[in-house]
Amino acid sequence: MEAIGYINRQSSLDAVFAALADPTRRAILSRLAEGEASVNEIAAPFEMSQPAVSRHLKVLERAGLIEREIDQQRRPARLKAEKMAAAVAWLEEFRAFWAGSFDQLDDVLVSMKLAEKKEAKDE
Amino acid sequence: MSELPEYVHDRVFDAPREMVWRAWTDPKLLSHWYGPGVETVIHKFELKPGGVWLNEMKWGAKSDLSKMEFQEVVPQEKLVWHHSSTDSNWNIITSPMMADWPRVLLTTVTFEDAGAKTNVRLTMVPLDATDAEIACWAGAMEGMKKGWGSGFVVLDELLAKLQAENS
Repeated sequence: MEAIGYINRQSSLDAVFAALADPTRRAILSRLAEGEASVNEIAAPFEMSQPAVSRHLKVLERAGLIEREIDQQRRPARLKAEKMAAAVAWLEEFRAFWAGSFDQLDDVLVSMKLAEKKEAKDE
Repeated sequence: MSELPEYVHDRVFDAPREMVWRAWTDPKLLSHWYGPGVETVIHKFELKPGGVWLNEMKWGAKSDLSKMEFQEVVPQEKLVWHHSSTDSNWNIITSPMMADWPRVLLTTVTFEDAGAKTNVRLTMVPLDATDAEIACWAGAMEGMKKGWGSGFVVLDELLAKLQAENS
């Protein structure tokens, strides 16, 4: 169940970012972007044991980046886009803070230039 | 642990370096542009190593406080500060947005001539970070730089599909 409330929702992004810090987990997500897959199918291209892949899947599942079928033998994993979208939105906000501030700085510099021109004229 | 990934933001400003520097270091000018679309109040601004910049950003009834502790001040060349969120007593706190976001970000701003314009580069990197903070930051910067592989690229597609399924 999705946690209710601003803090809970935000703090879960920590787990998302931590999960995405690992290159193997990013590769697993890329694989799942092509469609759902079982542990065996995911493990195939990696030189990695199934238990190791399972551990990575657990981290991704806890972060809310994937979900797994419970009632099937294969337990295929599939990507959940919402958490990824929330993480992307957060990063966009971070960058937008500086980008937006710098746009405002452009305007401040225009006023400073105008003020200097006026001063030069008045002298 | 290898070197921590940096957040890098480059920008060219159409003004001479002396003027850009003034806009960054005169609190009256700084409060006009720092913080997009918010009212910025600078409560204290001591431009010297060890000095602090106490900053408040207001929107509606909400307020966001941060403290910057200057480490280096090289006129018209370089500013270095430690950047943190604070409580109402200006004590450093974990980000109210995210518990494992680095508490202290070492922020470096450099100013360089580019003809009549000025190149500014801002970088941020965690300082004295915990393992959890480093992991959180590393994942975030990975996404900032190149996305998260094709999982990132297909995001729009997936979201469109989700919307279609829900409607």
